[in-house]
Amino acid sequence: METTHSLPFDSFLDKMRNPASLDLVRSIKSFIVSFSFNAGNPENDGKRIQDFFLTTEAAIRDHPLWAGSTDEEIDNALEGLEKYVMTKLHSRTFASSAEDIKMDREISEKICLLQTFLRPEHLDIPVVLQNEASWLLAEKELKKINAFKAPREKLLCIMNCCRVINNLLLNASISEDHVPGGADDFLPVLIYVTIKANPPQLHSNLKFIQLYRRQSKLISEAAYYHTNLVSAKSFIVDLNAKSLSIEETEFEESMQAARLVNRVPQITSPTIDKISTFGKQTDPGPSTEMHKRKTNINDHHIAILGSAGSNYPYMEAEAGELTVADVERLLGLYKDVVTKYNSLCNTVRHLSISKTTVSPASEGTNDLLRGRNGTSRDTDCKGD
Amino acid sequence: MGCSSSLPDRSAGRLSGLNNAENSGVPDAKNLRVKLVLLGDSGVGKSCIVLRFVRGQFDPTSKVVTVGASFLSQTIALQDSTTVKFEIWDTAGQERYAALAPLYYRGAGVAVIVYDITSPESFTKAQYWVKELQKHGSPDIVMALVGNKADLHENREVPVQDGIDYAEKNGMFFIETSAKTADNINQLFEEIAKRLPRPSSS
Repeated sequence: METTHSLPFDSFLDKMRNPASLDLVRSIKSFIVSFSFNAGNPENDGKRIQDFFLTTEAAIRDHPLWAGSTDEEIDNALEGLEKYVMTKLHSRTFASSAEDIKMDREISEKICLLQTFLRPEHLDIPVVLQNEASWLLAEKELKKINAFKAPREKLLCIMNCCRVINNLLLNASISEDHVPGGADDFLPVLIYVTIKANPPQLHSNLKFIQLYRRQSKLISEAAYYHTNLVSAKSFIVDLNAKSLSIEETEFEESMQAARLVNRVPQITSPTIDKISTFGKQTDPGPSTEMHKRKTNINDHHIAILGSAGSNYPYMEAEAGELTVADVERLLGLYKDVVTKYNSLCNTVRHLSISKTTVSPASEGTNDLLRGRNGTSRDTDCKGD
Repeated sequence: MGCSSSLPDRSAGRLSGLNNAENSGVPDAKNLRVKLVLLGDSGVGKSCIVLRFVRGQFDPTSKVVTVGASFLSQTIALQDSTTVKFEIWDTAGQERYAALAPLYYRGAGVAVIVYDITSPESFTKAQYWVKELQKHGSPDIVMALVGNKADLHENREVPVQDGIDYAEKNGMFFIETSAKTADNINQLFEEIAKRLPRPSSS
């Protein structure tokens, strides 16, 4: 459904560099400046930007530079316009309110909990649709969403994810003779994939597309798949034991267990801060605070950490010097190290996920567009 | 949502006034475009009806493109030389997704509510959707009640008359179909197309 011009954005920029487009460039730049000065108000912002797109569309249609252009060429210019404006205004319009940020965090945290125990059976996903390879591919598409700043490209990540799932359904109906279930099959798989992927800033991304994708483009199939992800998000937000095929007690216990596991990094993060402060030999303020926070967790650790001038007093020790009395302290230190190590691994894992998500952006717009425009999902995935 | 049917006066989207996209895809009085939402219990054959409709129209042998998709579109030509492009939004029929339905039927010009004539539960569920749409749907939405699996008449548990009566009481179009034998499938969509309000001015 997307046009496959190789570099519509470059051709838009080329036109903008043409002296004949000076009037347009001025109007676009002055809009961006005036928009940046006003305080954010999502409802209004969406309207203002959409109105600006429409006004500029009219101007482009009448512009000598586009005289005799086909509808497709005009459309490419408008896609370029959307991308240019929304990239410039990204920080002002994307996840710009405290509520959005909070919502993103809550959804992501809930997904983290669900990830620890949710299985396809809980959503009654038929075995023929349980295809790890396909799911992984779909997840990957969804995770790329923050690698792009333009609404069109973000929307394409969703579309690509949905296409992978549709291919899976298609294959199941052909090779496994699975009766096609349409949305009955599609939505549960999309929800499962969304939970597995935990795409960054899910709420903000969906809202951003809704508000800033040119409204004449958020229709039909694109609107349908966008709605499906909105729907998946909404399902996850409201999800409780009754939403799943699971015993209520099992659900509650699993959530509780997941909370305990996920809490470890939160508690130990001050400890990580402390390592760096210790290393720099700065004032003891932070470490005292850290001790206070830790007190209720394990007094023993604190005694060791506090009394010794360094975090790990046994580093210089020889085996022969140790006594039985040291066992308790050693064990305490051992536990502390393991806890830190685990939380560090967690953090690194998260970092590497967000890094892979972001990396395509640094490859430059040309590559982005080529990837985005490719109709084959394989091409899209290889780059990553 | 940003779906644009060519029906006038649809209620506005929730997030913003993103709904006046009528000028896209150039629908006009002769070329209508309408969002059609499918509702009904899972397993009543919602998607089979659509597949039969879409596939039957151009290539009955081709499975590709259509099977497995939950969004499909199909254009039909009417005798008065107007064309209607249906953009068909399938919804998940399982109970656990019922609360999500408003996201799908918002902005729809047509709702097709499907039940299975061998399943009284699915008929009850269909009535639930009718009430829901009467309460929360767009006031000028065209509704059709469809009793599917009409080929399984020896297992019938919902009398034809019950469907007729209920539809009549609620001002809906009613038809029994069989996605399996293709009975009444095209008729369903043609009847809906005829009932669409035409844009009075352009």
